[in-house]
Amino acid sequence: MPSDAVPLLEISSLSARYDAGEVLQDISLTMHPQEFLCIIGANTAGKSTLLRCISRLVPRARGSIRFHGQELMDQPAHAIPGLGIAHVPEGRHVFPGMTVEENLCLGAFAIRHRPGLAGRLEAVYALFPRLAERRRQRAGTLSGGEQQMVAIGRAMMLEPRLLILDEPSHGLAPIIVEELHRALVDIHARGTSVLLVEQNTALALSVAGRGYVLEAGRVVLEGAARSLAQDPRVREAYLGL
Amino acid sequence: MSRALVALALLAAALLPLALESEGYAIHVLTLALLFAALGQAWNIVGGLANQMSLGHAAFFGIGAYAATILQIRFGLSPWLGLVVALALGGLAAALISLPTMRLRGHYFALATLACGEVMRVIANTAAPLTGGPAGISVPFGAEGVWMMRFEGGRPIYWLMLGALVVVTVVFEVIRRGALGYRLRAVRENIAAAEAIGVDTARVKLQAAVISGALTAALGVLYAQFNFFFDPDTVFGVASISVRIALMAIIGGIGTAAGPILGALIVIPLEEFANAALSDRAAGLSQLVYGAVLIAMVLVEPRGLMALRFSWTFRPRRASA
Ligand SMILES: Nc1ncnc2c1ncn2[C@@H]1O[C@H](COP(=O)(O)OP(=O)(O)OP(=O)(O)O)[C@@H](O)[C@H]1O
Ligand SMILES: [Mg+2]
Repeated sequence: MPSDAVPLLEISSLSARYDAGEVLQDISLTMHPQEFLCIIGANTAGKSTLLRCISRLVPRARGSIRFHGQELMDQPAHAIPGLGIAHVPEGRHVFPGMTVEENLCLGAFAIRHRPGLAGRLEAVYALFPRLAERRRQRAGTLSGGEQQMVAIGRAMMLEPRLLILDEPSHGLAPIIVEELHRALVDIHARGTSVLLVEQNTALALSVAGRGYVLEAGRVVLEGAARSLAQDPRVREAYLGL
Repeated sequence: MSRALVALALLAAALLPLALESEGYAIHVLTLALLFAALGQAWNIVGGLANQMSLGHAAFFGIGAYAATILQIRFGLSPWLGLVVALALGGLAAALISLPTMRLRGHYFALATLACGEVMRVIANTAAPLTGGPAGISVPFGAEGVWMMRFEGGRPIYWLMLGALVVVTVVFEVIRRGALGYRLRAVRENIAAAEAIGVDTARVKLQAAVISGALTAALGVLYAQFNFFFDPDTVFGVASISVRIALMAIIGGIGTAAGPILGALIVIPLEEFANAALSDRAAGLSQLVYGAVLIAMVLVEPRGLMALRFSWTFRPRRASA
């Protein structure tokens, strides 16, 4: 573990709140370059909120989030993709009236003026061959799994340094879930760091290298995915063993 | 093919007044239809591209009409310069209204914008020293001449409105096809996804509102020069302006360039016809018939008349291609 290198992402003493109250308390999290990190936790633990803090979609947060040493807390949400962080939000957020290809091209919106759009498209189609077959189809008419592929593909059009995913497998058939996770492993193998929030704890721990466990807005456990999978608390609370 | 068709329609529209009586009723109705087509098109930028159902566009329309007319009365300012002032004031007003309302969705946005138009109406009625109050305001008469937009007969102002419609339509199309159009479409289709790809959603909505408001105010100036006289209840009216503007696009087809034009060419003559044919029969009958026809149109095709055209002509063609 290159712990002496500059961390890719360094979150310290982060708290966040909505009108109803505090959701995250004193979160600290470090992610190294090339890592595949997962965050697990029960419903309402604050996983989505944590991701939304990173991409600056939660306005009321305190603390520090550094990406390659650069403070994100004073960046507006729309600047985040340009810095190399792509967020695939919870739910299948595609542009339903646009074709698959238009959806993907819009993903490179933040870097519109740089070359290589065609190459990026090809890379996404290589990742998800199903999308290549449906490139002219309206995204709203795709199956749930395919829409999730569009959302992930659109994020990859940025060629991000960090890919953030919020429960990509939620509500999808097991066979599609497997396909998605293979794609994530593939994305990681090609050099993108991945931060994955997943309800399916077993699956998350099988693909990630390291994990954090979030409970009621706090980090309660952190460690290598393999040892988390062995941890009695995790096994009982999240793996149902 | 379709480009040639547009050019042909434009040529026909430009030559049409030569076949009509210069001071006649027909040219008056057509000029009004062109004005409302242009207004509907300006509204279409916000209502169609940004998908925000504004019912407050009378605010900008009236601001333009009043600003240019007051400047003409007090300082003899040419209405052409009045147009420039109106563009600036309309854009500014749109920014001020847009900033607090842009996060509202659906009905809430419609109601908030409606209230803004009403506030302007009350202000114009109250600020009598400046606006003439409820008694209204008249464009000063002067010598004929292009510089003061004072023309003989009804043809020049018809051509002026046609020109305005062309300009607003070109602006609409440039926006729709350009980067801003794509961003607006992204926001319209899925705001969470738009934010995720780095669209500054507040900024694109603001841009759309400012452009739409500026153009609407400029059209208010042309209305003043066309009608010579107006009062707060007319130019800031909910039914007379705000709803009517939105109606052009809704009847014709929201989000398409042809929609408001089609809508205005049908709705304005229909209004005039209902008024002329029925107003002496029974009070309110003309409005009743007019309203019934509008309801029927919306029931038959909620997406507007443009959608009918698409379903009739384009589907078979696509199937055979
Ligand atoms: N926009 C919001 N406004 C107010 N409260 C919110 C908002 N979003 C989330 N919350 C609250 O914050 C808490 C944490 O929500 P969050 O979505 O971060 O949890 P999560 O761990 O992602 O849950 P899940 O597994 O169900 O997605 C919850 O109690 C939720 O009700
Ligand atoms: Mg969540």
